[in-house]
Amino acid sequence: MPARLFLAVDQPWVDWGWLSTHVPYVWDAVVQHLELTVVAVVVGLAISLVLGVLAHLWRPLRFPVLTVFGAFYTIPSIALFALLIPITGLSGTSAEIPLIGYNVLILVRNVMVGLDAVPAEVLDAADGMGYRRFARLVAVELPLAVPAIFAGLRVAVVSTIGIVTITAVIGLGGLGQLILRGLIQDFRTPLVVATALCIVIALFADLALAGAQRLVVPWGRSS
Amino acid sequence: MSIGDLWRWLVDPANWQGSDGIPTRLGEQVHVSVESVAIGAAIALPVGVVLGHYGRFGNLAINVSNVGRAVPSFGIIVIAFLAFGLGDGPIVLALTALAIPPMVTNSYVALREVDPDIKEAARGMGYRELAQVLRVELPLAVPLIMAGVRTSAVQVVATATLAAVVAGGGFGRYIVDGLARSDYPRLVAGALLVAALALATELLLAGLQRLLVPRGIRLLSAPISHRVTTAKVA
Amino acid sequence: MTRIKRSSWWIQAIAAAALVIAACGGSPTPGTTSKGTLTVGGFNFPESDILAQLYGQALAHGGYDVKYKLDLGTRAVVVPAIQSGQIDLYPGYAASELEYLNKSKGEATPDAVATTAKLNTYLTAIGAQALTPSAAFDGNAYAVTKATAAKYSLTKLSDLAPVASQLVFGAGPECKTYKFCLPGLMSVYGLHFKNTLTLDTDGPATRVAFKNGTIQVGLVFSTDADLDQLGLVVLQDDMHMIAADNVVPVIRTAAATDTVKNLLNKIDAGLTTNDLFTMNGKVSLQHQDADVVAKAYLEAHSYFA
Repeated sequence: MPARLFLAVDQPWVDWGWLSTHVPYVWDAVVQHLELTVVAVVVGLAISLVLGVLAHLWRPLRFPVLTVFGAFYTIPSIALFALLIPITGLSGTSAEIPLIGYNVLILVRNVMVGLDAVPAEVLDAADGMGYRRFARLVAVELPLAVPAIFAGLRVAVVSTIGIVTITAVIGLGGLGQLILRGLIQDFRTPLVVATALCIVIALFADLALAGAQRLVVPWGRSS
Repeated sequence: MSIGDLWRWLVDPANWQGSDGIPTRLGEQVHVSVESVAIGAAIALPVGVVLGHYGRFGNLAINVSNVGRAVPSFGIIVIAFLAFGLGDGPIVLALTALAIPPMVTNSYVALREVDPDIKEAARGMGYRELAQVLRVELPLAVPLIMAGVRTSAVQVVATATLAAVVAGGGFGRYIVDGLARSDYPRLVAGALLVAALALATELLLAGLQRLLVPRGIRLLSAPISHRVTTAKVA
Repeated sequence: MTRIKRSSWWIQAIAAAALVIAACGGSPTPGTTSKGTLTVGGFNFPESDILAQLYGQALAHGGYDVKYKLDLGTRAVVVPAIQSGQIDLYPGYAASELEYLNKSKGEATPDAVATTAKLNTYLTAIGAQALTPSAAFDGNAYAVTKATAAKYSLTKLSDLAPVASQLVFGAGPECKTYKFCLPGLMSVYGLHFKNTLTLDTDGPATRVAFKNGTIQVGLVFSTDADLDQLGLVVLQDDMHMIAADNVVPVIRTAAATDTVKNLLNKIDAGLTTNDLFTMNGKVSLQHQDADVVAKAYLEAHSYFA
């Protein structure tokens, strides 16, 4: 398929001159991007821990939790952001609700899998040592579930960083704003810079979490 | 908008015919998705299988899916559009790029997981390299490879929705147009249709997997960190 | 003890995240000298960015705390936003705002003042008002490539009537229901195109479509600066389908203090269609930032004196 440089003016993919004079502009976008991501992951994790523990303690809860959030997960993010505009406006809330919802599905599954994977002998030993149900959960089962939770966190963080770009359609977007500007103004530099930065930030976050995991659970990998 | 409005939109025969009708849009979304997954598989599966068989570049093969997930699909689709213009071509290019990583990783891991004893036995029985791969290792690897194809397919179908932002077709068109005109029944219908299509894709490929897996072979259990799970990219 | 270290790691991580959010999410000035906060919205095309910046920077210079919510989309997003108070003002185009609010009843005329007055009767219902319209005008325009114009001898829109059925038309998603777009082309000029493609509203998709021959007729805006360079020529609106799409600030009545109104009207009084054309050129062709272009204009016209 032939490359079509469709405008009369050819432009480079990255105009380094533009980039050097627009560092604050790009930086602001990065900060907004990180804010949206961190809130979505932290709140998603909190909700997942609560729901995951509850579903672990009370099995009938599993199916509804997985079904509700699973159904939510199949809805394209751009539609959810658009649908929330009349409800929660052009605000961070409209962006966060879908982002958090997606993360809950990813993480709650991992919390449940992680808790399930605790070997029966360990539970027996804990019981033998006198742990009561809830104390056992907090002091023994959850820590052993951490590797699985970390695996989920890595997927959730990387996934969120990508989807945050789509919140540009409701006036937010972080680095997505640069992508949108690239599209509207047919201007390649902000588009390429934003895409590259998204990749770099996501990879960095993934590596950081992998490293953190090794610190937190030194006895085992995520397997 | 009420459920009634949505229902009326869905049963309106005008929405089932013509260039903006549901069948047309369905065809557009399926077409780009199938093309992207097929081309992606044609590239990814041989690469993953070969690397997995010889056990080379393991770190690369496993981490390529991490990198792949880190690529923002919105950005890639716009880049493809600004580079190559309108039409299915640029969209398929972008979606293929997104489809490849999960399939490479899963096929690599699938081949690695084949019990070395079995490979040893095959060699002892006189299988030559290619025959060994095709007739011994691949059948054992099929479940995990199919899981990778399934992951890619569902991601591609969902991401194809974004094509509408760069003047593409598919159900994303209902979402973008609905937003542009405050036509909420159209917007919600678009969202539900994409969700339904993604679900159908998942079920169809799960069924296909059950057909392809030779009886008696259980799903190989690769470590969670190596198994590529479906991640939301759009 | 390992366990204590582990739990404090979690707490530290979440605390750090909270700090990042708090530090970066804080609003700027304490505002002892600020007269209040105003949020300026805009449509998703470059000229709207420029106009929003003109208004916003003038207000900021006048002592207000200005926030921007730009590139929001079409009227379908912007008008509800002002109605719900998400934005306080946006740069509108008198006739288009009117025909959007009256659901294409056809009340807009080429008279900017009359159109704006009629617009205000609808805006009160949503708690907003339009100020004094500017002489600067930017309405829908329909372009063809120079080759097409030569082939069918096209100079005005009514020339299209006999050949429209051989041509493909491209516009944005809102064109099918927008008075000054397809409905107008059909009812005023009797144009029935071979096919209508949904691309974007005067964006790159439309331009690509022209270039590779996917469309022969397309929607652009009358102040677009890159048309000549792209080999496109605008067909004259000889039957005056396009009404008074003069630039006019649409502002929430609650935010429309006299000071604000004076600041905004002052900008509009000095703004000409040619100014729009020039500023558009700087953004579309030279990729300058809208806020930089706006600032240069304001300084050149001594608004900051």
